[in-house]
Amino acid sequence: MFVRPENWNEISPLERRKARLDAWQNAPVAFVSPEAEAKYKEKISRLRKIYDMEPHDRPVADLFMGANEYVVRRKGILGKDIIYDHEKLREPILEFHREFDPDTSVGAMPYPGKPWDMLGFKLYVWAGQKLPDNLAIQAVEGEYMMPEEYKDFIADPTAFWLKQYLPRAYGALGPLAMLPDFPRISESVDTIDLLLPFGLPDFQEMLHKMMEAGNELMKILGAVGQTGAMVAAEGFPAMGFNIVKTPFDYLGDTLRGTKGILTDMFRRPNDLLAACEAYVPILVKSIVGASDRTGAPCAMYVLHKGADGFMSDKQFKTFYWPTWKQVMLALYEEGITSYLFIEGSYNQRLAYLAEMPEKSLVCHFDQTDMKQAKDILSDKFIIAGNVPAAMMAAGSVDDVRAYSEGLVALFEDAPAYILAHGCFFENTTDEKLQAFMDAVKK
Amino acid sequence: MSQKLIDAIIEMREEDALKITQELLDGGADPMDVLEACRQAMDIIGKRFQTGESFIPELIMAGEMMTAITDILKPHMTEDAEEKKLGKVVIGTVQGDIHDIAKNIVAFMLDLSGFEVTDLGVDVPPAKFVEAAKESGAKIVGLSGFLTLAFEPMKDTVAALQAAGLDDVRVMIGGGQVNEQIREYTGADAYGDDAMEAVAIAQQWAKE
Repeated sequence: MFVRPENWNEISPLERRKARLDAWQNAPVAFVSPEAEAKYKEKISRLRKIYDMEPHDRPVADLFMGANEYVVRRKGILGKDIIYDHEKLREPILEFHREFDPDTSVGAMPYPGKPWDMLGFKLYVWAGQKLPDNLAIQAVEGEYMMPEEYKDFIADPTAFWLKQYLPRAYGALGPLAMLPDFPRISESVDTIDLLLPFGLPDFQEMLHKMMEAGNELMKILGAVGQTGAMVAAEGFPAMGFNIVKTPFDYLGDTLRGTKGILTDMFRRPNDLLAACEAYVPILVKSIVGASDRTGAPCAMYVLHKGADGFMSDKQFKTFYWPTWKQVMLALYEEGITSYLFIEGSYNQRLAYLAEMPEKSLVCHFDQTDMKQAKDILSDKFIIAGNVPAAMMAAGSVDDVRAYSEGLVALFEDAPAYILAHGCFFENTTDEKLQAFMDAVKK
Repeated sequence: MSQKLIDAIIEMREEDALKITQELLDGGADPMDVLEACRQAMDIIGKRFQTGESFIPELIMAGEMMTAITDILKPHMTEDAEEKKLGKVVIGTVQGDIHDIAKNIVAFMLDLSGFEVTDLGVDVPPAKFVEAAKESGAKIVGLSGFLTLAFEPMKDTVAALQAAGLDDVRVMIGGGQVNEQIREYTGADAYGDDAMEAVAIAQQWAKE
């Protein structure tokens, strides 16, 4: 949890950033030993210097965005276990950290399998449900907002989410559509409208299911939280971020689908722009709240439809960038660093990122030209990436070593670089992972 | 008038394109000529995609217009209006992967470019690719996969095609993390970064 200092309103964005990073760096950890404490402090202070873009001894090799499943799969854990048996992941995760001594902590994503089952979640399919046990999760795109519903969303995104989107995205949450329009609950008899759904059997059944799913979720979070605390206690700091997306990607990935949103750029551009605008204050408020609650100094954007090839420069400039930039600038004002996980290639977008203030971004690349990224962005921002997932899966140990060392050499004279994978992968070998981690220690 | 239709399509003016199509038909135009105009428009969009002037939104939007125009033309077309195809392609997203957006765009562009496309959908086991290639006589198989977990099924599918004796069938692969290293790993004959590369590969193979 982050508590704002009393002079918060008088200090600059970079001073606010420093306050958040201080709180993250100094968050209390119950270490298992003085050695673990010393190790943790060494690791987190190196990472802190990178976040501050100050001189440091060597880059950090981060595994979270690439090897987060591999670290448990290497011990025979299946995708189904990752989704349903969070206790089972603890030993393999701890073992991995003890054996490989990574710079930052790494662990599988906390997918809530049982709650998904109980609520009939439709946006994904997963192992143990519709996918074979060895896979994990895959997104299923749908059109969860019809073109004619843009006006409802723009007028009141939260009400749309609550009463239209959630009932469609979760089979068990259909009765949410019965909820009243809250701002009209005012006069004496309006209490009737407020409470009416809560007295109806369907709604009550839904509430019971939500409570049961909530209980399951608490078990999962308990298990995941305990694992995380034990990893930290043994000396491994977390990168520290909450996950977010751009307004365009929320609309495209979740509400309209790829085909829907890409054709909306031609068929209803004004609706699309207004919907992106409507998202901005909600995202800012939500991420600031999450950053305060968790103490994470970064907001991690998982970036999708703005990549090279997905749209033209003009379309990016018109539809994707302006509201995303608004969100990032508002977060910067609050001292929150935007960590961009840039899937695909961003060679055409680098100049846009360069518009952002110094130290406001960590730019983590997948298939972008790293030389170009260095030239355009590395004076202002922290750069991360981009050992290819394909290489981790199908390349040789020598391939991984040469590529990783090449990146470290390329960024030797840059202020701040994190060696990382371009994208997530399920399969690799311990030897390849070791070669990746060794590259920063040469 | 046909030029007006071509312009409307390449400028993404959907309503105009449909209106002009109807006007052309009402004026007694041959549906095959209208279709030919559409093909010319798609050719321009495809070329612009290759040169970085058009992008996925334009391909999808053009696909939407083509579908709508074909629906208007269909009642006016005769059976023997079927054009000669460049060749047959079997395409699908490999086993364990259910992503279909990119695969659909590739299938659509291949279809527009004159190939007869058998789209097997998503999560397609190797045996189904083999069966479809045998049944259709297709000499080109396209494997799509978004995730790194697609690499093994791609490799398995290439091996299954070879094991079935389909030595004259060539395989092209594509997807988010697919590159030359994965082409080599899977034993595929070619890989493409996008839909137009897939079309170019198929056209090249059809010529040989």
